[in-house]
Amino acid sequence: MAVTAPSARSVAATGSVRARKITNAVATVILWVMASSIIVMLALFVLYMVYLGWHALTPAFLFGTPKETSAGGGIGPEIFNSFYILVLTLFFTVPTAVAAGVYLQEYARPGTFRSAVQFSAESLATIPSIVMGLFGLLVFVYLFRWHFSALGGALTLTLLNLPALMRVTQEALSSVPDTLREASMALGGTKWQTITRVVLPSAIGRLTTGIVLIAGRIFGETAALIFTAGLSVPYNNPYALDLINLPHETLAVHLWYTHSESIVPDVDRIGNGSALVLLIMVLLFNVAARVLGRQLTKRFTGRVS
Amino acid sequence: MIALQARRSHRVERIALLGLRIAAAIVILAMASLLLYLAFEGTKTFFVDRFSLFAFLFSPTFAVDSNHPGAAVFIVGTLAVTVFAIAIGGPFGIAVGIFLAEIAPTRMTHVLKPAIEVMVGIPSVVYGWLGLTLLVPLIRTHTTSPSGFGLAAAGIVLSIMILPTVITLSEDAFRSLPTSLKEGSLALGATRWQTITRVLLPSAASGLAVALILGIARAVGETLAIQMVIGNATQFPAGIFAPTASLTTEIVTDMPGATQGTLLEHALFSMAFLLLLIAMVLIVLVRLALRRRS
Repeated sequence: MAVTAPSARSVAATGSVRARKITNAVATVILWVMASSIIVMLALFVLYMVYLGWHALTPAFLFGTPKETSAGGGIGPEIFNSFYILVLTLFFTVPTAVAAGVYLQEYARPGTFRSAVQFSAESLATIPSIVMGLFGLLVFVYLFRWHFSALGGALTLTLLNLPALMRVTQEALSSVPDTLREASMALGGTKWQTITRVVLPSAIGRLTTGIVLIAGRIFGETAALIFTAGLSVPYNNPYALDLINLPHETLAVHLWYTHSESIVPDVDRIGNGSALVLLIMVLLFNVAARVLGRQLTKRFTGRVS
Repeated sequence: MIALQARRSHRVERIALLGLRIAAAIVILAMASLLLYLAFEGTKTFFVDRFSLFAFLFSPTFAVDSNHPGAAVFIVGTLAVTVFAIAIGGPFGIAVGIFLAEIAPTRMTHVLKPAIEVMVGIPSVVYGWLGLTLLVPLIRTHTTSPSGFGLAAAGIVLSIMILPTVITLSEDAFRSLPTSLKEGSLALGATRWQTITRVLLPSAASGLAVALILGIARAVGETLAIQMVIGNATQFPAGIFAPTASLTTEIVTDMPGATQGTLLEHALFSMAFLLLLIAMVLIVLVRLALRRRS
């Protein structure tokens, strides 16, 4: 009783019941307006980008090659490079991050090693992507003597996205109830069998959702790629698969480069079109993440999440 | 037979654990090499070019031609846009976090949450492009700013970009509070708003601090979106609408033209190292805030 008395008094001291109810109602309305304004703002952004960019989305623009000095350049190679670097990045990021996440969540006991992994992951997650880009420049261009390249860009993005995917893995694993693990162990399964045959299949839906959302972020990443993957596509070989010798400018980098450095006369058209394509891709990745995650969860666990 | 099988699965077990340990070790290795390499490269300004650390931090003159790369303008620029962003995005984000945790009906949550996820996914350059085509002309026509580029444009774009971080983390902070706190307050006759302001906000303080710190980290490190709208002028912001530059925007603006081994290149790496140190300080602050909670 003695504990509750002060707060009871402070509640009573704030004035009449009616005044308190009015304040409460006003505050609720304000919070509703603030939250709704986010949705409205996002919708306006999307509509505005569509309004600006939809004229630009012609086959010649989407599949053509960029031009250095004259109008009429396309973004075909840039779209290709965005996907190419995305695939390379996921190839390195997914196994490493999932393994590290499984280790932290299922195996690691409290101790120096676990703390060091956690602190490193948190630090990597907070490092600005431009700083990561300069580190990529030091390692891949200066030290390894690669040129601006697809692999250099992809490995830089791997470092940038490892922590996020580790987190996704840990959260997906922690959502699997311990009773499943215990049942598997009780049936004689080893720890590794339990993880690969019971825990991971149960977590696959959430894991996939997380991976696809991160893929969307990799697709749009720019600052880390400017000094690692480069600001151009090879003139005579725009759809190159080369890993370490040729620059691979992605779509997001192209949007920035066209605006700030290039001298083509139709900057606005290229910028509006590229921005709209990037936005559409983000929306597609978001929808795909949800649909895939739901399907896989249903398929592997029979549950509907 | 069974013994054989058991021995084999025991070996698989050990190999698997080794693989997982290696993956975890890669994370440590990546962070350690990043820190050491940038420390080495980022201190060349002081150890190779013999420029004074004090002048780097406090001199407003950035003139590499006369061997004087003072970064004070960029440090102040970073500080200014970050304060601007957190002053708007901080309270707004926390308010929406409260809304999501305490007020929003399921239907609203099902719209708002995906919207926030889309906001996270929108590339930095697209925010920059929006700022460039929407915000900058708006500022140009409605204020005395001749170009529209400057601190305000950068700050507004940033405040929108940090919203998802602040909202998500502050929602988590409220959700992690025991429900007995809320029930106790409501049972005493407090309205929902009184419960929020007098019971939930103070109890969630350390979680909200984490939300704000990570919002600040996002703002300090954001590069291209603000580089496209800040004006990129090497000068202290003369007013809220005046053009200036930040640490990140300066790196992007001058690095493409910097030759390896020159003072300009070294100075830009020093700025990158400074950004890295800021990020690590913020991480330590987050850890302190979390420790206080538990």
